[in-house]
This record gives sequence, C-alpha cells and structure tokens, in this order.
Amino acid sequence: MKCPIEKLSISKRLAIFAALMGILALFIGNPVNKNKITVNAKELALTAIGNQDEISVMELAEWLIEGRADFTLVDLRDEKSFNEYSIPASVNIPIENLLDSDLMRNEKIILYGEDDIASAQAWFILKSANYKSVYILKGGLNEWKEKILYPKLAENASSEEKAEFEKIKQISLHFGGVPQIVSGTTTSNVIQNVQTSPAPKITPPPASNLKSAPKKKREGC
Amino acid sequence: MMPYYKFDYFSFDFSLVVAFVIGIGFGFALERGGFGNARILAAQFYFYNMRVLKVMFTAIVTAMLGVFYLSWIGWLDMSLIYLTDTYILPQIIGGLLLGIGFVIGGYCPGTSVVSASTGRYDGMVYLLGIFFGIFVFGEIFPLIENFYNSTPMGKVTLPQFLGLSHGLVVFLVVMMALGAFAAAEWSEKVMTKKLGREKE
Repeated sequence: MKCPIEKLSISKRLAIFAALMGILALFIGNPVNKNKITVNAKELALTAIGNQDEISVMELAEWLIEGRADFTLVDLRDEKSFNEYSIPASVNIPIENLLDSDLMRNEKIILYGEDDIASAQAWFILKSANYKSVYILKGGLNEWKEKILYPKLAENASSEEKAEFEKIKQISLHFGGVPQIVSGTTTSNVIQNVQTSPAPKITPPPASNLKSAPKKKREGC
Repeated sequence: MMPYYKFDYFSFDFSLVVAFVIGIGFGFALERGGFGNARILAAQFYFYNMRVLKVMFTAIVTAMLGVFYLSWIGWLDMSLIYLTDTYILPQIIGGLLLGIGFVIGGYCPGTSVVSASTGRYDGMVYLLGIFFGIFVFGEIFPLIENFYNSTPMGKVTLPQFLGLSHGLVVFLVVMMALGAFAAAEWSEKVMTKKLGREKE
C-alpha cells in the first residue's frame, strides 16, 4: 500500500512542508530578543585595557574641520540638552534608545555625554550587542568646552605653549569658541570685540567645510 | 554569523563579485520561471495565468522561512538586514505607477532586463524606457522632493507595525500564500474557460 504522501504532487508536498514550518514558527514566536545580549566579558575587558577606544576632543575637532564623514557622532544626553548645545554634526540618541536606533553595526560610532560615564555605559551596551567600532570622546562635552570652546592660556606661558595655543585658537574660533588668556585671577578674551560681552554666546560654526550629519551608505535595490 | 558582508567576512570589492553572481542567479531563475515573456507576466493581470503570483509567493515564503529559522538557530543576525525607510504615501503612488507600467509594458524592471538579455526587442525598448524614466525623475526631483520625503514611517516591519510576534506573522503569511495558491489554481481554470467562451 502506498503512503498517502506519495500520491501528492511535488508542489503539494512543498505546500504541506511550508504549512508545517509556518505552524512551528507560530510556537517559536520571536526568534531573537534584541534587548537581550550575550557578552564575552574577557574579550570586552581586553578591548578596554589599552584605551584604544578613546578619541580626544582635539582629534575630533580636526576631523570635523577636515569634513570627514566616515563616523557617526552620537550625543547621548537628553533632547533638551542636545538642543541647547551639541557638537556639530552629532545626532541625538539617548542611551535608552541605543539598540533601537538606526546605528549600523559596521559603522564607526563616537559617543559623548556630559562626561565619560554615560559614554562608557553606552560603549558597553553597544560593544556587547556586537557593534564593531565604538569610540568614546574622552572627557565628553565638558572637555570639549574646556579645550575647544574656551581654551585658556596662562599669561606667563612659555613660547612653545603660546605656539601651541595659536593652533588651538584657530580650531576654537572655527567652532565659535572664545579662547581666553588667564592672568592671575582675571581672564581676558583673545578676541577684542567679544571681550565686551561677559557671558560669551556660543554661535554655531560656519557651515562651509563642515558636513552635516554623516551620510549613510546607500544600500538596497 | 550572517550577513557575511556586515560582519566583514569579505571586503566591499568582493561583495560586488558576490552581488554579480547572485544577480546572474536571480536573472536565471526569473528566466526559467518564464518571466522573460511579457505575455505570461501581463496575463497575471487578467487572471488566466497566475504564474507571477505563484512564483512571487513561493519566493516570499521560501525567503521568509529561511530568514526566520536561520535567525532562530543563531546563524543570521536579523537586525543587520538592510531595510528601506517607509514613506507610505509616495510609495503607494510609486507602486501604482509601477503597476500601470507593468500592465502596459508587460514587464517590471527586473524582468525587462531578463527579457532584453534573451534578445527580445520589447524588453530592450522597455529598458530604454526605464532609463528615460530615471532621467526624467532626476530632472524633476527638486519639484517633488517634498512629496518624496513626506509621510515618513522610518524602518518599520510588519511585526512592529501590527504589534504581533514574528512567528505569528510568518504563520499568517504562509497561510495567505497557501490560500493564494489555491485561489490561483481555481481562477486559472475559471478564467481560461471564460475567455475561451468569449473567443468563440
């Protein structure tokens, strides 16, 4: 006696197979929970050891001036602080939305928050979720403000320091910052016309050679 | 882990070679499915030859089950699969335009390439039309840019949109496909008979 399956045509057999797979899928539900991640603690620790995942504010400033767009700069703070001030070309992704965001696992991501803490936490989340190249902006926004927006030079600085400061001043001015020279207890702004205003207002840098948000690689058909 | 390219198993250059091989395979499958013939494709819209629907649904179900089970056993990271953003209104209009062109010309973009490469003149003319259409679109893009970017929904999938589990959606689509196959067989019988009568 023939098995009933053998009487069916090949397409009917395939249809039955598909139906069974469909029914099994019903019981599996969600194949993966993306909020649940498995961590290779050793590997993570080894990556963290050499501080290779840090980028200094000066490096970042230079990249931004060059108009490099091979990375995504992520502001981890809340929307309100982001709207008040953010580093040019950054996108705002609060830390709780990181894994739901459009960030790609193969893109270069630079994280910053007010200081290092939020970025370190976000770094851990992203690294454990298999994001390949995640970097932390060392010192966060505080360092950015201190080093780039309001760089200070002591009046009795050596000539080497002064030469160095000239370079920083140019970078600072590009980002609308206010370089200052400190003499004793008083600080004076380098640029004369800004000196009159007690609380310098941060203006956005000229859009000329600064690309806006880094362009996503086009994919798909 | 798949997808291989996203996990850097091969470079961008090599990915183009892979894309070429897959593209040839895709074209071959389309041709063997009979999709190089405008008459078969257009027949879909008159319901007497449902081959397009059958092939398409077979492809959808095969790929969907493949993706679902590969990610279930952990060989595929589903979150790395590229999704196009949804802009619902412009995409509906675009879909309608494509559909109208499909009925009139008898091809969709992919099948017109298949048809042209098998030496059919209508396919080649259709291909020229595609390039002309791309050119016109490029020229008038500034005028329609606002509409093109309107009603954005971001990257949205059916399970997200409907709030259902992946498995349930997979099940529903499989059932829909099986229903469509049955309906297609039935409508082919009915319509062939009907059209046959009309000819007499």
